Amino acid sequence: MGAKKIMLLKRLFRRVRSMDSKKAMAFMNKLTEGTFTLLDVRQPREYEKAHIPGAQLIPLSELADSLNELDPTKPIIAY
Amino acid sequence: MLSGLGFEEIYNLKGGIKAWQGLEAAGPKELNLDIVRGDETPDEIVALAYDMEDSLQTYYKEMHHRTKDQEVRELFYKLASIEDKHKRTILELIATIEAPGGSTKISQADTGTMVLEGGFDMAEFMEQNEPTLKTVPNVIELAMMLETQALDLYLRFAAKSTNAETKDVLFKIAQEEKGHLAGLGRLMEEKI
Repeated sequence: MGAKKIMLLKRLFRRVRSMDSKKAMAFMNKLTEGTFTLLDVRQPREYEKAHIPGAQLIPLSELADSLNELDPTKPIIAY
Repeated sequence: MLSGLGFEEIYNLKGGIKAWQGLEAAGPKELNLDIVRGDETPDEIVALAYDMEDSLQTYYKEMHHRTKDQEVRELFYKLASIEDKHKRTILELIATIEAPGGSTKISQADTGTMVLEGGFDMAEFMEQNEPTLKTVPNVIELAMMLETQALDLYLRFAAKSTNAETKDVLFKIAQEEKGHLAGLGRLMEEKI
């Protein structure tokens, strides 16, 4: 298998890091607004009931078609 | 899903919203978004933010006069005074965005009614919440709720805005709101 293919596979199967609530709050407080994305992938009804202020709602089922709404250069915290 | 598609820094919030211990906003993503068109200039947005701070101050002052409990009355007075600082910060923001020779006129936002921070109609809000505002913790909780909704609203305004400079201004205002929330959190610890 070529090195390029291995790199691609590594990227596709990279583990997403997790942060608990406390770490996420510290992370977001360290950054200024506009420099990160809070992504809410739940359904609109769940978002309506309660969401983290400033979260961008893109339900998981619509995520593949909405990637252009996200900035790949900014850190994303998803829930 | 995102990690293989060019998104470099992705974190999963462990436990999701159920495990979240911070403040929460409520309402659909379109809530009060009709207050803005989306093509506002930075100074139009600053004028709107100033108006909302000013309306909130009017609300606190009115509650100060209407409340009988001395401690709660003093708290409303303090909250109204804090809004003076918030309004000054917004005026300072104008100075950083205004082009030479510009003259932003404050209080030009035409929202039709008195709109509090977070996008609430003042008359309705007063009617709905006055009966519950009898203790100091209740009042601070209300103030924190308003600032949380305001933070959320400014960031949703930013998402709607088509003007890059306006987006930047809205992020700055949202950053200020975070500071206001931290201040109210300290006040809550002090009073309880």
